[in-house]
Amino acid sequence: MKHTTRNFIVTALAATVLAGCGKAPSPVVTESSSPPDAPQTTTGDAEKKLNLFCWSEYVPQSVIDQFTKETGIKVSVENYASNEEMLAKLLAGGGSYDLIQPSEYVIESLIKENLLIPIDHAAIPNMKNLAPDFVNMSFDPGNQYTVPYMAGTVGIVVNTALVQDDIKGYTDVFQEKFKKNIVVLDDAREIVSWGLNTAGIPVNEVSDENLAKVKPILAQWLPLVKVYDSDSPKTALLNGDVALGVVWGGEGAKLLEADKKFKWVTPVEGSHLFVDSLAIPKAAKHVKNAQLFMDFILRPDISAKISQEFPYLNPNLAARALLSEEQRNNPASFPTAAELSKMETFKDIGEQASKVDELVTSLKAQ
Amino acid sequence: MAGIVAPTVAADASSYQRKPGLMAWLVLAPLLIWLVLFVIVPTVMLICVSFAERDALGRVVWTFNGQNYLRALDWDTVKALPQLLPRNISEGTEAILKQDGVSGDPNLSQRLRGIGAGMVATFNAFVWFRILLISIWYALLTTIICMVIGYPVASFIGRSPEKMRVILLTLVMIPFWTSFLVRTYAWITILSKEGLVNSLLVAAQIIPEPITILYTPFASVLGLVYNYLPFMILPIYTSVERLDNAMVEAAYDLGAGPVRAFSQVIIPLTKPGIVAGILLVFVPSIAMFAITNLMGGGNPPTIGEVIYKQFTSGRNQPFGAALGTLLLVTFIISLWLTRKQRED
Repeated sequence: MKHTTRNFIVTALAATVLAGCGKAPSPVVTESSSPPDAPQTTTGDAEKKLNLFCWSEYVPQSVIDQFTKETGIKVSVENYASNEEMLAKLLAGGGSYDLIQPSEYVIESLIKENLLIPIDHAAIPNMKNLAPDFVNMSFDPGNQYTVPYMAGTVGIVVNTALVQDDIKGYTDVFQEKFKKNIVVLDDAREIVSWGLNTAGIPVNEVSDENLAKVKPILAQWLPLVKVYDSDSPKTALLNGDVALGVVWGGEGAKLLEADKKFKWVTPVEGSHLFVDSLAIPKAAKHVKNAQLFMDFILRPDISAKISQEFPYLNPNLAARALLSEEQRNNPASFPTAAELSKMETFKDIGEQASKVDELVTSLKAQ
Repeated sequence: MAGIVAPTVAADASSYQRKPGLMAWLVLAPLLIWLVLFVIVPTVMLICVSFAERDALGRVVWTFNGQNYLRALDWDTVKALPQLLPRNISEGTEAILKQDGVSGDPNLSQRLRGIGAGMVATFNAFVWFRILLISIWYALLTTIICMVIGYPVASFIGRSPEKMRVILLTLVMIPFWTSFLVRTYAWITILSKEGLVNSLLVAAQIIPEPITILYTPFASVLGLVYNYLPFMILPIYTSVERLDNAMVEAAYDLGAGPVRAFSQVIIPLTKPGIVAGILLVFVPSIAMFAITNLMGGGNPPTIGEVIYKQFTSGRNQPFGAALGTLLLVTFIISLWLTRKQRED
């Protein structure tokens, strides 16, 4: 019923002017499919290869190297910058990814669309290291398909050298006196969720009606923003170009490590928790290798190594024990239990995503 | 008109060259394949996708409707315009009366200011069209600045002695030796509040405390000009180099002053270079968003960024494709305009 882009490309190749040189692949096909060295005919894990499709700046190269050294499995890594980019490439028929790293709301829809392979828990004994808060979560009951990699939250970073006020939440950040002194994530869903939190609406209830309620709040906030940056919001804060930021926990943790003048605030209005997990897509060719990798990153020493480089909220209890006192007490990495219990995770909002995007885009251009 | 007339005149002379032999086709083949694969097919795909819909996961669903174009052109706002504009004007006038602290009928100046405020508010109701206009404005500004800086530089290079010329041209092209992203990041460290420029100015006691340069529209345009200036200089240089000095001397001999010689002889003779320079700067800078994001802080958003987001986080390829097609139309219009210029 639904034709995918790939089908279209094939038809287009056959139907259009290309008849004469139809064998040549279109650039779109090559982009969305496998890296050139990916195996095409093997059935599985006799071949020592693993195609990892993961977030940029999330899996340290040293961890990948060590995996190769210990198992002899060669890992080819491809990166993406957003869940949607990953989805687009995966759905366009990228048949050769063995392991992907989606966030919770994407996992939910991938499971719904039957696009993931269930994992074999016997092959992943290190699952026992996970904190009870991070197993059996609502997006994947019983962890049938996924293994949590890292989690995190979004919160406020204050440069106390420039701002003396007591900042407690979003409404304290978005004040006229901090105009053009704020960096926020360049992410429509995030921005709208802060508005929803402030209006006292659960973050997943993005009906038209609720968006209309959030609009006046955001219309007041967004003209005060100086920088929109999801990739490295810490840069503007580090360089002193802005005094306040609403950023990823991992970025906040790095700022706190870099300089004592930065303070982390978990917004009183509420915040949400994201959980990025490893999952095996249906078309994976090296399922056992993928499970080996899942088990590998759950090993306490490896997981701690990841935390050292990317200080997000580590769901691995055994790994947390290996972190330094200072790292464990970093409020940007590890929110308190009380804060954590109030945080929701995002659910897939389907086609409302466009309306969220349009709302934020229009207010940004104001 | 000229475009239609010219080929008919030349038709006879070139008619037997119109049938290229096998050899000619073989030589042309790589170019043709390249054109078809990387220009025609993607463009046709883009246009096809722009009429489709998408499902919740962002997959393209093949239907045929113009919904995406209506949205891209803010059709809902256009339809509401007859009510929207008067309402915004009356609201704007009221706000101004309130601001001035008077009641009753507005005087002429208040009425005019009310109309102005209403028109701005109405313009703000256009989402996508306004972003396109903002991007065109940035590109236009970039082109003008590049032209003002680039033309004198190009004529200076074109008129300097042979040896100097090689050195100067190399200097123009040196920035291409590193990736433009690296250069843009370098600008961030130069312009930030604790960056080079601010530190120097504060140390020299020219300014008391660091000023905001980075993440402003100024920084965006600076980045664009910096990046595209060579594309203005090089084509103009080629024209200037070919300029026959005898023509300029003749103008002077016939009594023209420097201004007249410049405007009536030099400019028309170097026009091909100017037009090429304008196109090479204007067209890519409309859609460039890496620079405006990194140096302007993504504020305000540009059309290139908005399209990119539709294809990624927006999960709406068809809408992105519609915006892309509209951008393509903008390019075609600007090409057509400059083409007319060249033929005049």
